[in-house]
Amino acid sequence: MEGRPAEDAVLVERAQHGDTEAYGELVRRYQALATRTAYVITGLSTDAEDAAQDGFTKAYFALGRFRTGAPFRPWLLRIVANEAKNRRKAAGRRPTVDLSVAEDRPSGDTALSPEEAALASERRTFVLGALGKLREEDRLVIAYRYFMQLSEAEMADALGVARGTVKSRLSRAIARLREITAGEVRADA
Amino acid sequence: MPERLDDRDLERTLSDIGTRLDGPKRDMWPAVRARIAERRAQPWWSRLGLDRQRLAPIAATLTVILVATLVLTPSFVDALEHLLNIPGVQIFRIPNTPTPMPTTGAFASFSGQRASSIVEASRLAGFQVREPGALGAPDEIYVELAPVRVTLVYRSRQGLPVTAVPGVSALIVEFKGSLDAPILGKAIGPGTTLEAVPLSNGTASYWLAGQPHQFFYRDSNGQTQPDTLRLAGNTLLWDAGGITYRLEAQVSREEAVRIASSFR
Repeated sequence: MEGRPAEDAVLVERAQHGDTEAYGELVRRYQALATRTAYVITGLSTDAEDAAQDGFTKAYFALGRFRTGAPFRPWLLRIVANEAKNRRKAAGRRPTVDLSVAEDRPSGDTALSPEEAALASERRTFVLGALGKLREEDRLVIAYRYFMQLSEAEMADALGVARGTVKSRLSRAIARLREITAGEVRADA
Repeated sequence: MPERLDDRDLERTLSDIGTRLDGPKRDMWPAVRARIAERRAQPWWSRLGLDRQRLAPIAATLTVILVATLVLTPSFVDALEHLLNIPGVQIFRIPNTPTPMPTTGAFASFSGQRASSIVEASRLAGFQVREPGALGAPDEIYVELAPVRVTLVYRSRQGLPVTAVPGVSALIVEFKGSLDAPILGKAIGPGTTLEAVPLSNGTASYWLAGQPHQFFYRDSNGQTQPDTLRLAGNTLLWDAGGITYRLEAQVSREEAVRIASSFR
């Protein structure tokens, strides 16, 4: 293990045996992923962080039921997503995917000319707006694929569906997103 | 938006958004550790994930029973699950018995998809659903998918008294149990007896009788589903071929064992 971070499975096992700090390492490792997942559902970063923290807490108490050898990441995301959904339902509102979160970060595309950068930024605003109009499950499948780069197997685990369902669900979600964006182009034209 | 996005632009823009989505600004672990400590300090029932607000849909009488029981309950519980070894079932021993009360109509309906036959239910559930020869074909079959649970409903049957569920004489639940994923939970007080009885083929089963016990389902994340919380009467639990069975009927232990031994 020298110099290499411990495997998830090792940390999970240590946490299951009462090593809280091992769980802390898992929290640090996945806090960004968990928060983004929650954010895609709640649409508000403060709610998302709260949901992620509650998700981590629930996952901790559920560690006893975690199947040895199963991947930790999708299992955690499923709990976090569930927490975020409950929160959103309780708040009784649709998420507004808040663009400022996506725009605050310095971009890596320094090679773009100012015009290209402006166009890219405009596209992001536009697509984020369209994402906000999608159904929660469509948004989540797109987020897992494009925002978090989960594998198909991980997506299936995180969404609680069969592996074969992931592909069709993703292409359906993309098709709906395309419809919305196309519709807006027409509306604007 | 002045231009139309093609699929490549759309995918690229999505990935672009992904790289810009911010994570939390600071280390979350101290906050999570505090929440864990806080929850550890709470009594056992709050760890079941029962949220008072979400209890609202439950019949008022049951809410009163539950809350009264919980409030009177010292923070002490024995989890018997490991002793029982019935996959997917968690049993908590609680020091107070819930008061038996006639159930309102709230539980007469079942959730899940209605299946027209055992064959269809087996196909939907992904395992061979079985029925007890002693009771014959069920009147209704429901299949839930997340997690997979099959419920066989026997409406009034001659010679079988009704259960805690109005208009129902026997209820059978079948699911693929796993020791690390509880599907259903039970909280039993001192008025409820729990004993091991063998079925006619020697399979170990457990018989819960006496005072009604609290019964609830968990969802696929292991969280309690408060709307499924209810009082349940005499129940036999067993596990055969990787499937966990639960028979609820107001019958004697011998009759329950006879019904359970007749599964085919």
